[in-house]
Amino acid sequence: MTTCPSFGELADYWTTDATPADVERIEEHVFECERCARLLSEADRLRAGIGAVAQSGAVQAFVTDAVLNRLARDGVRVRSYSLDPGEAIHCTVWADDDVVVTRLRADFTGIASVDAEMRLDSGEQWAHAADIPIRDGATELVLALPASEIRKAPVAPMRLTLRGAAGSARTGVVAEYVFHHEGALERNS
Amino acid sequence: MIDDSVPRRYRTAAMHSESIPLAARADGALARAVSAADTEEASAAETELYRRFAPRVRLFGLKHLSDRAAAEDLAQQVMLVVISRLRAGQVRDPDQVGSFVLGTSRMMAAGLRRVERRRAALHLRFDSPDERVYANDLSLDATRIAPCLAAIRERERTILLLTYYAERSASEIADALGSTPGAVRVGRHRALAAMRECIEGGKTS
Repeated sequence: MTTCPSFGELADYWTTDATPADVERIEEHVFECERCARLLSEADRLRAGIGAVAQSGAVQAFVTDAVLNRLARDGVRVRSYSLDPGEAIHCTVWADDDVVVTRLRADFTGIASVDAEMRLDSGEQWAHAADIPIRDGATELVLALPASEIRKAPVAPMRLTLRGAAGSARTGVVAEYVFHHEGALERNS
Repeated sequence: MIDDSVPRRYRTAAMHSESIPLAARADGALARAVSAADTEEASAAETELYRRFAPRVRLFGLKHLSDRAAAEDLAQQVMLVVISRLRAGQVRDPDQVGSFVLGTSRMMAAGLRRVERRRAALHLRFDSPDERVYANDLSLDATRIAPCLAAIRERERTILLLTYYAERSASEIADALGSTPGAVRVGRHRALAAMRECIEGGKTS
């Protein structure tokens, strides 16, 4: 019997990165090794669970259009906003929204990753995220938020600040945006 | 008891392994036990063989077929063939029963894919609704996974979503995030390790 692959290698079996040779090697091992068969099953449950969570719109993440396209294919109801640097918008979430997507436009030249911070008018921090990956030279960062979380947000202005994270050629403020959150609305209201 | 009608390659090891509980037997010994004359022993061996290999065939089916229902069908069909062949003493080397199950899986999956292609063509032609079953049967896992997914680093969460939801390769993810395929794979492995630790430990921070 061949040497047991690592859990990472077994998880790679479920990705598009696995070459036919990788797939064959893993399968030949797994059909001889019950322990690795169980781990391969665990990796499957994990990837399926991640997919199910994403499909339910219950995950907050910085994503790309590939994820948004998949959400659209899965029939997830997405509300989108786009903001230029310094822009303030009035935003809300409707009862039938699943996910709220915000396209944060900025010049990300010289930026390898950003830190994001959302503060209420009072100065209180409402949310924070560190080391968000971004391609140097990109022109927007896409944030997907569960609509259920937005519904819980205070009805108040909030300021989102993006800063170049450590390791970037540019640090300091990259862009700021203001959200005048107007709460959750019903279609018949 | 070993029946004289059982081929010799099935006999010797079966006689030696009779005193070992089925669950503790090697795959080969189990395969031999399937052809035992003692029908109770053979039946128990079949059950154990099914328990061991049907999940692996199901995983194989998930990788190579369109959905979980097709993978389940494959597992049942393959195990039926394997057990029938073992009963008839038609498996050349019972010690290599794992390879035999894999080979049978490959052969039968190819057949099912041909059927699936024909079915898909008919669906397109007649514009029928898609009846395939998708991975929505994992709600229990999803409730455990969601808080752990929320707890890992932003970068790793993005990589996991792009890999397992958007089904993007490491190269495509690297292009999108300004990284390298190697760094994406490392990030993915690290993220999975963190997810497993979180799920097993029930901790989210």
